[in-house]
Amino acid sequence: MDVLDKYKKAWDNQPNDSEKVSKVDIYKMMKSKSSSIVKWIFIISILEFILPHLTFFFVDYKEYNRIYSDLGLEQFAFYGFAITYVVYAFFIYKFYLSYKNISTTLDTKSLMDKILKTRKTVKTYFIVNLSLFFIYSAIVSFITLYDQLKPASTSKILVFTITLIIVLSISIVIFWLFYQLLYGFLLRKLHRNYKDLAKLDEISQ
Amino acid sequence: MQKSLEDKFLNDFETNQNIVHKVCRIYTTNQSDHNDLFQEITIQVWKNYSKFRGDAKFSTWMYRVALNTAISLYRKSTRSVKTRDFSDLEFKIKSIEYDDTEEQQLKALYKAIQVLNDIDKALVFLYLEDKPYKEISETLGISQVNARVKMNRAKDKLKKILNP
Repeated sequence: MDVLDKYKKAWDNQPNDSEKVSKVDIYKMMKSKSSSIVKWIFIISILEFILPHLTFFFVDYKEYNRIYSDLGLEQFAFYGFAITYVVYAFFIYKFYLSYKNISTTLDTKSLMDKILKTRKTVKTYFIVNLSLFFIYSAIVSFITLYDQLKPASTSKILVFTITLIIVLSISIVIFWLFYQLLYGFLLRKLHRNYKDLAKLDEISQ
Repeated sequence: MQKSLEDKFLNDFETNQNIVHKVCRIYTTNQSDHNDLFQEITIQVWKNYSKFRGDAKFSTWMYRVALNTAISLYRKSTRSVKTRDFSDLEFKIKSIEYDDTEEQQLKALYKAIQVLNDIDKALVFLYLEDKPYKEISETLGISQVNARVKMNRAKDKLKKILNP
């Protein structure tokens, strides 16, 4: 007899009502709030869309716009903002679509595929957003530099440029680490399970 | 309309809740996590209940939602805890040779399944519940051939834990 057979018998004979939950309690549970991974990805993603806009409260954009007009960059600023918001709209739409497609009634592999895809959309958005921010900052900084430091010595310009690059790089690394920590923690289990499930498929393909 | 859907859900869910309890017992190691996962599965089954068309058996559909919630949506992971419990578990399994009741066997079986990884847990669970390979492959989203290969490996792992 197979080792598992006697355990299987014990499994089949296990009592069905040892932990019965009443209808009243089931009702309370069905009305409570979910705390699933998907819900957390959704909350964090919404924050990622909103957070960059909170700078409106801290940065005086009138002052900022004056910098643009002083430098003769009004058109650049206009197109820059237009591009940024088209990009935002595109990503919000994509994110909404993939979030909507997540359903626990899918098979396990497709469900994990969909969750990881949604997560990837937000990740791409974040990277694009960050890149746009740094590209604009770099362009404006260099033009300001060129405009104001024209009479300055080459060494002074060099020091300024290097400092700027270092500051930007450190900011990117900090952003990146924070980001990895946040999602790494949330998705570690999912990644591991996905690997366990998909491993054999990859080998046989 | 909503009221009658709620009533129907409560009836279906209450009748089949033992499936959810078994899933919770496999995927968690203490009562508080058990209750936590039970609640999350209840929410997920209810959330999708209007999509359940009745062309499959409610219980079949519930296996899928319950396992998906445990494998993909539930945040807590108990794998490391289980590994630490392993030596203790071996000792307990050896000692049941002297007290070979079905209740002890069931306890040993649950403890052994808890040591497996999340996917192997699902495979072994579906085997114990007498699910055909077609249903297992459809639930997990892998081919029937892969389901068979994975199932044999999972069963071997389980046998080794139960009979070291």
